Amino acid sequence: MKHFINIIADPIFSFPIFSLLFFAMIKWYRVVGTKKFAWIFLAISVPVTVWFLADPQFIKIILWPDNIPINILVILIVFLTWFPLYKAAENDKRLEQGLEPVEALPENREKVWAWPNLVYTELFAIIAGTIFLVVWAIIFKAPLEEPANPTWAPNPAKAPWYFLGLQEMLVYFDPWMAGVVLPGLIVVGLIAIPYLDTNPKGNGYYCFQDRKFAITGFLYGWLVLWIYLIIVGTFLRGPNWTFYGPFEYWDFHKVVAEYNVNLSEFLWLKWLNTSMPKNIFVREALGIALTFAYLIGLPFISLKTKFGKDLLEKVGTMRYYIVIFLVISMGSLPIKMVLRWLFSLKYIVALPEIELNL
Amino acid sequence: MSAKGLADKVRDTQVWKSIFRHGPPNNSRNRAAVVAGNVFLHLHPIKLKKSGVQLGYTWCMGGLTFFIFLALTVTGVLLMFYYRPTAEYAFNDIIALREHVPLGIMREIHRWGAHAMVITVWLHMYRVFMTGSYKPPREFNWGVGVILLVLTMLLSFTGYLLPWDQLAIWAITVGSNMAKATPFAGHGGPGAALAQIGDFVMVSDKNDVRFQLLAGRFVGEPALLRFYILHCVFIPLVVGVLIAVHFWRVRKDGGISAPL
Amino acid sequence: MAKQQLNRREFFSFLTVGWVAFTAATAGLLSLAFRFSYPNVNFEPEMEFLAGGPSEFEAGVDERYKNGFGVWMVKQDGKLFALSNICTHLGCIPSWMPAEKKFKCPCHGSGYYMSGINFEGPAPRPLERYKVSLTPEGKIRVDKTKVYRYEKGEWNNPNSFISV
Repeated sequence: MKHFINIIADPIFSFPIFSLLFFAMIKWYRVVGTKKFAWIFLAISVPVTVWFLADPQFIKIILWPDNIPINILVILIVFLTWFPLYKAAENDKRLEQGLEPVEALPENREKVWAWPNLVYTELFAIIAGTIFLVVWAIIFKAPLEEPANPTWAPNPAKAPWYFLGLQEMLVYFDPWMAGVVLPGLIVVGLIAIPYLDTNPKGNGYYCFQDRKFAITGFLYGWLVLWIYLIIVGTFLRGPNWTFYGPFEYWDFHKVVAEYNVNLSEFLWLKWLNTSMPKNIFVREALGIALTFAYLIGLPFISLKTKFGKDLLEKVGTMRYYIVIFLVISMGSLPIKMVLRWLFSLKYIVALPEIELNL
Repeated sequence: MSAKGLADKVRDTQVWKSIFRHGPPNNSRNRAAVVAGNVFLHLHPIKLKKSGVQLGYTWCMGGLTFFIFLALTVTGVLLMFYYRPTAEYAFNDIIALREHVPLGIMREIHRWGAHAMVITVWLHMYRVFMTGSYKPPREFNWGVGVILLVLTMLLSFTGYLLPWDQLAIWAITVGSNMAKATPFAGHGGPGAALAQIGDFVMVSDKNDVRFQLLAGRFVGEPALLRFYILHCVFIPLVVGVLIAVHFWRVRKDGGISAPL
Repeated sequence: MAKQQLNRREFFSFLTVGWVAFTAATAGLLSLAFRFSYPNVNFEPEMEFLAGGPSEFEAGVDERYKNGFGVWMVKQDGKLFALSNICTHLGCIPSWMPAEKKFKCPCHGSGYYMSGINFEGPAPRPLERYKVSLTPEGKIRVDKTKVYRYEKGEWNNPNSFISV
């Protein structure tokens, strides 16, 4: 059983599994968003967690001091993924019956005094927060390793945990994409959300039915492409950034046969059976063409689909192209992952001469 | 004299009356006065919709983020009493903070608080998204929030170098080398190879964005000093200003969101 | 009495000049602040060093100059060259693994052959080689200011290796 879990925890399997689970959760959010489901989930997950914790290797990774925040985050996320779905399912049912959402009920619209209602809540939050931080600080010492040594890198060398999602992307993308362009797009995309989402519904209350696309897109990026990658980067990446299952000993000498090939090498050496052309742009012509087709062709192709037409009609031309551009930028990560796993594809466009690899 | 009698007496003194201009907040008039008349409490509206104080709706994550920011400011100032940002002293000062300084958990509170703040900021944004609270009229404030999110992570990232141990230096090496790959502005990024006239390299490791960040080609002492200043002075100042804007706009955009 | 009044056109031109001057002054001050953040002198390790005579090296990877100077001296196929120890991916320091005969980077798992050519992991290009020359005394001078890159076909440059 542990061996099986070790194997399926590998992103090659766990990423598709996690994605499928995510979409299943979205599709059946009304089943997930019930108290009954929550209790069943809790009843199953508690013994499973205890069984995981009984493993010495697993508990060693979990209890490494800088990983504690991620444990807290994971527990919070599990609950806080369920909770909005529960609230949304409740409100969606009410909206279908022609009622107002719970937040709009007269008793919730009623105005209350800031003192004491709000001020006391804040006071309580401050006290709870202080106690939490002090207890945490007493139980877990802040990590401190050997003094800085610029000539010797520890193995594995990891970024702070909140950047491990980006570091995990670095396995599939070049630094200029994973470290600069994609994070930049995340920030710009987040800021742009209110200007792109012209849907007036769902303002100020939990709901899902009226904001399907917005919520699915955001949650996929947040849960799968951010939180999941952080979990992989923290718990499942050991020495040499090699994958290690949750129960696997971090053996420094674990050898992973990995030989990645560029698209241009596939094209010229394998399919056309000739040598690589001298001109670098001729050499990478196929990759460049595919990239342009992806970036420029896809928005036009999606116009032919019902989804694209509806979107265009709803938000207008300008917003449509920005939304599609952001979506296909986000989609480039799972696409690149799958290509890597299936074909050991390294770069679609490989121009190390001008440091431009895609 | 009974306790109540004593309290009344204290409330009647000139000193008390000079500080608190109104009676205890047990009637409507005084509840309004205490919130409106106090410089700290007047961040709040005098009355607000009930959904705005329900934990099930707000999760209190924004408030907790602000609280942790304040806690980090206090503990950070205390840590600065004992910490010198030089390659020679930094690591030993961190050890001293653990072993020779009273209440040796100050650094722990600061570090765990920093991690907790990243988490609460993320969850705050997540909640705001799920309730659709970024929608008009709050678009601009959502943008301010995203900038604050980035600054929070930068604060945490710059602080990560200060212990000057192996964890710190290599995390920052990996992180700052991404700046090297910035298109056109980093010497290892796309486009830099094109900016070359004969033997003259326009974007090199001595003048690109990473050099500016680290004040050198490696993570060394100048980088430590630079990160220290960014961590303790520059970014907190910017964050402070943006927090003021953020809170101001929460009020001006109609308070905590609720169904229209 | 003639009115000393700006007409509309004059008013706007003054305004334009004012704004242009204001923008230029702000931009100038900001660029000064920007330039200020680039130090003129910095105190980093020497970029040039002497590394024994060619006869001191056996075939394979020599790690003597790795910690002090960030260079592996590699002797392979009759060539002796100075290989940079900075991973081309994100600048970590790979370790030489004698058993597997490869350099392996701990940060993201890039692997390089003894020659410095990358073959696994995310590294976009091979490790760089530095300029090497022989001093009149027969010592090897390694000059890290000049790098030779494989993908640019520079490893055939006679300055990038010493024939042994």
